[in-house]
Amino acid sequence: MSTSRKLAAEVVIVGGGIVGCAAAHYLARRGKKVVLLEKSVIGGEASGRNGGGVRAQCRDRRERPLAIASIKLWVGLQAELGFDVEYVQGGNIRMATSQERMAMLRREAEEELADGLVVEMWDRDELRRRAPYLSDVFIGAKYCPTDGTANPILASRAFGWAARRAGVTLLTRTEAVTIGTQGGRVTSVTAQDKDGEILIEAPWVIHAGGPWTPQLSRTLGVQVPIEPARSVVAITQRMPFLFKEFISSHDLGVYSRQAREGHVHIGGVGTPGKTFDQNMPAASVAHLARGVAQMIPALRGANILRTWAGTLENAPDKVPIISPVDGIKGYILASGFSGHGFCLGPIAGKLLSELIVDGEPSLPLDEFRLSRFAGPATPARTT
Amino acid sequence: MTEQVEVAVVGAGPAGLSAALAAAQAGAQVTLIDGYGRPGGQYFRQAAAELRVNCPMRHQREGQALWEKVSTAGVRYLQETVVWGAFEGNLLGLHGPQGPAYLQAHAIILATGAYDRPVAFPGWTLPGVMTAGAAQALLKQQRILPGKRILLAGTGPLQLVLAAELVCAGADVVAVLEGARLFAKAVRHAGALWGQWQRLAEGLSSRLTLLRKGVPFRLGWGIIAAHGTDQVESVTITRLDSQWRHLQGSEETLACDTLCLGYGFIPSNTLSRLLGSKQEWRPELGGEVPQRDRHMQTSVPGIYAVGDGAGVGGGPLAMLEGQIAGIAAAAQTGHRMGEVERTIQRLAPALGRERRFQQMYAALFTPGPGLYEWSRDDTILCRCEEITQAEVRRAISLGGDSSNEVKAVIRCGMGDCQGRMCSHLVAHFIARETDRPVTEVGLFRPRPPVFPVPVLALGQQAEEIPSGAVTEAARR
Repeated sequence: MSTSRKLAAEVVIVGGGIVGCAAAHYLARRGKKVVLLEKSVIGGEASGRNGGGVRAQCRDRRERPLAIASIKLWVGLQAELGFDVEYVQGGNIRMATSQERMAMLRREAEEELADGLVVEMWDRDELRRRAPYLSDVFIGAKYCPTDGTANPILASRAFGWAARRAGVTLLTRTEAVTIGTQGGRVTSVTAQDKDGEILIEAPWVIHAGGPWTPQLSRTLGVQVPIEPARSVVAITQRMPFLFKEFISSHDLGVYSRQAREGHVHIGGVGTPGKTFDQNMPAASVAHLARGVAQMIPALRGANILRTWAGTLENAPDKVPIISPVDGIKGYILASGFSGHGFCLGPIAGKLLSELIVDGEPSLPLDEFRLSRFAGPATPARTT
Repeated sequence: MTEQVEVAVVGAGPAGLSAALAAAQAGAQVTLIDGYGRPGGQYFRQAAAELRVNCPMRHQREGQALWEKVSTAGVRYLQETVVWGAFEGNLLGLHGPQGPAYLQAHAIILATGAYDRPVAFPGWTLPGVMTAGAAQALLKQQRILPGKRILLAGTGPLQLVLAAELVCAGADVVAVLEGARLFAKAVRHAGALWGQWQRLAEGLSSRLTLLRKGVPFRLGWGIIAAHGTDQVESVTITRLDSQWRHLQGSEETLACDTLCLGYGFIPSNTLSRLLGSKQEWRPELGGEVPQRDRHMQTSVPGIYAVGDGAGVGGGPLAMLEGQIAGIAAAAQTGHRMGEVERTIQRLAPALGRERRFQQMYAALFTPGPGLYEWSRDDTILCRCEEITQAEVRRAISLGGDSSNEVKAVIRCGMGDCQGRMCSHLVAHFIARETDRPVTEVGLFRPRPPVFPVPVLALGQQAEEIPSGAVTEAARR
């Protein structure tokens, strides 16, 4: 097939998830000409298929400043995007069923307070008082009042719609197949849609392809050490208002939030399986149902209405890669968000735009370099 | 608890009963699962057990006879049990008063039937507007009339039968509106009626009943709107063109308290979709149906689909398909393996006759594309989430080019009915608005549970669920 269609841009973004769309939005606002390539639909993968948590607590220390800064953006997002993304700053409760978990949370609280994040430790009585809907398997919790929730389907798409309004060329159902370079510098991206090939010439490429990143980066000889993982969520029928917080228990392996319409979303924590398979396994349905029944007694009689699965990507240390790549000028990776991309999406997009427009991001990105994986592995440090 | 079984049959209508019977008679161990309290499905729908009915209708008698054979053949029957999910490894998720939470079968025969095609027009959500199937269920099962002054609108001879039954039960049937304009086409297909004596007799007797009672039967008429405050009080009707679009200038308004809609059926293909069976778009069979081979096996080995759920064709065809699938599934589990070809050959003439009838029926009574243009911008398309056509249009303008994308953005199809009601309405509207075929727009992706199931029921036996492939015990 001949390359009959040609476009030119200042920045090509590969991947129409929340990170790619936020980057497109902020770049367009700074006057850059952007083409965004998405293999399926905007926000159709992990950005739209996640629990909808927007939290700064219980993060790896490296990631914490980004999360805090991102939440500041989330607070103003409705005005910024001209769309109600159902963001609510309802707080985040991380519960414990054991003294060991409580001790871990306490250690984490000290670090968080030192880093300027306001959190509270709740003992059993305080937890009963503040969250009476939770079952008595929990002996305490850590609470962060500035954390919250949003609607993942709408938030990632709202960035896309805003970007399009700001002049970004959004090409959906268009898959990037190769990245062209010349003399150690990015020159173009070749993409494929149902009508054939499109060549987009550009000096910058932001590669925000989520779990699908390594396939394309490999064509440049860049190894991105991430692995796919299946995320699973179950949703109840509409229920009367029960809680506004995002709640989670690593002991039970579930998290939950109640969406605006009353449906309770229940997700799996640390769901295993390095797979791109997006079918819902029967065992996961049972795990989520059992987890929520143990967590929130009032939901035991509720009906599960629907379940779904998605694919997210994990970096070895569960911390994102937001990184220029040595030897390939103009190529910037933004991947490996490890299930944190929804919360971090707005700030990641903003920092990426600063990296290109200002040459220097307003928050340091050194901890997120790809080259950190060249040395000995750094294990994840979260509760 | 997960139970292993050789053959699982989902649905106890004509197709499922025949499949279960054939498989059990061939020696297979069979479990038959059905959501209702009594076997028979819609076709053989029985009167409620609490009612003492002296003279059951003909189909009810036939159903009883078939059921007696099934129960004496040693089929295990799980009643009031919904199959809420179907997973890799031939695993079915069950929810019912007794029986296992999961069933893993060497062969699964899906005989899930079809449901009345929803049609959206102004007023279609008013109380008193119901499907023909609902009216028939009330009549057959509860012996209750759905209303006093009833207007029937739809297509196909089932309407005539229902109208005659309603009249005999004492209702005042205002009129029967047939969307198709039959005569020219009917003559061309008359040959397919050869051998369909029972159907002809039934149709003729229904028509005579209506003539005797002076019930108008109007060919080429459809609905513009239903009116009323708390419930239907009147319906505005109009002539239709050959594409089923409204013709201007022929509007009439009829007073009634009930409007029964019978615009054909949509196959229930959710379980075969969840299992990954390849589907094809066949409007003449009701919509999307699984591809099958001559054993009624879908593209996924060990998964069979029969009856209206695999393409609307009526009870007699469903029973033939059920027999073939039952024998094939039994052979697949090692029983009477030589029987399959003999059965297919033996049933070939009857099957051919029913397929010809199916084709004739489809040619005469498949609604025209205009049927999906009766809605207006303020008409609700998704009843559960109360989403109007205007909102669907807005989602399309935001870039929604598929059913799934529109669903994601405005929640249509996310409600309690799991999208069964609005999936075709939304898909056809997107197709029309974006000038693309329905096949490109697609239908909502099914998500388990396909019926709402309580948290406690789903959470019961988390550890014991097999993952992945069929276990050796089931494979034999």
